[in-house]
Amino acid sequence: MSGTNNDIVITGIAAISAGGVGIEQLRETLAQGKCMLTPLPADILGEEGHLWGKATSFRVGDFMPPLKARKLDRCSLFATIASGMALKDAGADMASLIPERVGIALGCGFGGIANSEEFLRGYFLKGADGLIPMLFPNTVPNAAASNASIEHGFKGPNVTQVQRFCSAESALLMACRFLEEDRADIMLTGGADDLAAIMLQGFKSLGQLRSHAAGFGEGSGILVLERREHALRRGATIRGTLGEIRTTGFLLPGREAEGIARLRGDAKPDLISLSGTAAELPLLLEDLPDVSRLEVGRLVGRSLAMGGVAMVALLLTLPEGKRALHLAASPEGPFFGIDFFGGPSVQS
Amino acid sequence: MNGKIAITGLGIFTAAGKNRISFSESLLKGKCAIGPVDLFDASPFPARIAAQVREFDPLDYFDKKTAGRLMRADQFALIAAEEALEMSSVQCHYGPYEIGVSMGAGAAGMFQGELWLKGVVMGKKSPPSLLRGILPDRTATAIAGRFNLCGYQGSVTTACSSSATAIGWGADLIASGRLAACLCGGTDALSLLTYAGFNSLKVIDPEPCSPFSLGRQGISLGEGAAFLVLEGEARALARGARIYGYIPGYAIAGEAHHMTAPEPTGREAARVIRCALECAGVTPDRVGWVNAHGTGTPLNDVVESRAMRLVFGDRADAVPLVSTKAMTGHCLGAAGAIEIVATVIALNAGVIPRTLNFRGKDPECDLDYCHDGAKESDATIALSNSFAFGGNTTSVVIQGLGTRG
Repeated sequence: MSGTNNDIVITGIAAISAGGVGIEQLRETLAQGKCMLTPLPADILGEEGHLWGKATSFRVGDFMPPLKARKLDRCSLFATIASGMALKDAGADMASLIPERVGIALGCGFGGIANSEEFLRGYFLKGADGLIPMLFPNTVPNAAASNASIEHGFKGPNVTQVQRFCSAESALLMACRFLEEDRADIMLTGGADDLAAIMLQGFKSLGQLRSHAAGFGEGSGILVLERREHALRRGATIRGTLGEIRTTGFLLPGREAEGIARLRGDAKPDLISLSGTAAELPLLLEDLPDVSRLEVGRLVGRSLAMGGVAMVALLLTLPEGKRALHLAASPEGPFFGIDFFGGPSVQS
Repeated sequence: MNGKIAITGLGIFTAAGKNRISFSESLLKGKCAIGPVDLFDASPFPARIAAQVREFDPLDYFDKKTAGRLMRADQFALIAAEEALEMSSVQCHYGPYEIGVSMGAGAAGMFQGELWLKGVVMGKKSPPSLLRGILPDRTATAIAGRFNLCGYQGSVTTACSSSATAIGWGADLIASGRLAACLCGGTDALSLLTYAGFNSLKVIDPEPCSPFSLGRQGISLGEGAAFLVLEGEARALARGARIYGYIPGYAIAGEAHHMTAPEPTGREAARVIRCALECAGVTPDRVGWVNAHGTGTPLNDVVESRAMRLVFGDRADAVPLVSTKAMTGHCLGAAGAIEIVATVIALNAGVIPRTLNFRGKDPECDLDYCHDGAKESDATIALSNSFAFGGNTTSVVIQGLGTRG
């Protein structure tokens, strides 16, 4: 599976993570190479010795009145606020855009789980009288993208993808298709995840805290995508250009190399970004050139839709005119290989 | 979309039929599958019914080890997916990396996950295996692994519009040249979360749901799975495949209005329908009937009826708006796929299905809903609408072959 998206550019980015709120804080974290994971409070799991990537510097009151914030779950807050920041970075004012031509395709891992747990806990403890109806609407994984669309007025294509550690990349693929087909002028894409105690207890129960769920993180990374001609017409600054998007869903036993080969681009990248479990898949990294590697999960935590923050980090790091290969993987698939170019021009 | 996207396989597993043949019989004869729930204790709730899949023993379909590793929703999905893949014989003609999986998912393994949570809340030890399918993406991974579908793996999770969008997206993946064939559809299982949730919002009818009827009180939940195998028409014909219909186009949008309430004028619902028709290159006068979202909630049914008037104008009275949810229940993440499969079957049978459980004429629902019975039809084009929490709207254009199919 491959596709060419060379006419799609990135005009805005935003990030909320353990690495801070906003792209300047993330840039600083990346520059320092500083791990922002912090000790997971012992009362959550009844034991010490684990780290998490909690977005501790995120203060919702800095962005939204408390009455409005109360209606949104934490994942929706991340997505809604990061979307606003990304639009601002893109110089895109919704008042001057056609709402039906602005859409959102978001990856979201455990979105809705926190509300589901709270809702069900009320039932288990108090029966039907313990049910809190206002919790139920935000139990769905699409709550984050939908709340962002309601807040900002995005009436274009609206979709949420959950697919293991490649949730954000899966969403980006859809966003690009909607732009290619002229179903939208602007698509916001990326990922949003929140951390909830019950998730971590679940990871512990499954024995995953020392493997894929080690140092789990939260936050949101959003990219504003548009066709180049649209970006130029409205005078937007182009932060980067999207190249080919390649994906393999599952590695067929005995024919793994064939699936991996489908993820590789033709040209040598100047930078490799690793997301999800890509760094743990030797086959994926075999024969890759010895170039700089960016692994933002080690710094701010790993999550199912971490690709949003990882791709924002890539764009913050990639010099103009240089080429990057973003590799994302999940233990049982899927896998993505996405080409990015720094700045407005594409070098072959 | 570029090129015609053909349907070469159909599979379905619901309370109204556990395969294509038995489901077709229920659809064409108008058999309601809604009845008492015993999957969990429904007694605390005012509504105690749903379209639950009954007499289901996973060991009739899987060995013990496999069944134990799969959630209820995964089991439904694998059964329906296998039927669709076998019907298409697509795996004999394309390489594994040319075929993908586009899933729509909802509560997924929540039924098992909430058993784990109950143990945690009550201070009891719960088996961790109950959490294996807590995320809705698990089913796509299970399907890819079982059938060696390696080309693409993705799960749309937009609540009640998930699987309709997944089918549109599956068509897109082929139209864009990214896949030769795509297994696309959805699955969902009843869970306490959704049952209690919709009950808490007071939108579950204590009697079998009666879409577009006077006195309707809301939805009846359901469960099941349905899949299509899609591929490009030219390649399908070249390999000698039998074609059952087409997906000429689809559209998705966000209403940006409210998390649970539809935009009341129907303007936003009409917009997504118009966009789907435009995408398909189909003018409204070619549409024979519409498989409604038709949940049976007082507001949704009125809004969808208004949207029909906006799209079809004076002709709206001649375009029946029918809801198969009165037969299958509202299967949430699987609803769109089940309804698209139902639409293909009905188009090819030359029938517009009946909307069951009529209670009386609602003056605000003033279209033809086929409440009196199924109708013969020579239509070859129909729409399937899916509207979801969050204002996610999807409309899919379906082309059947008529009775020659």
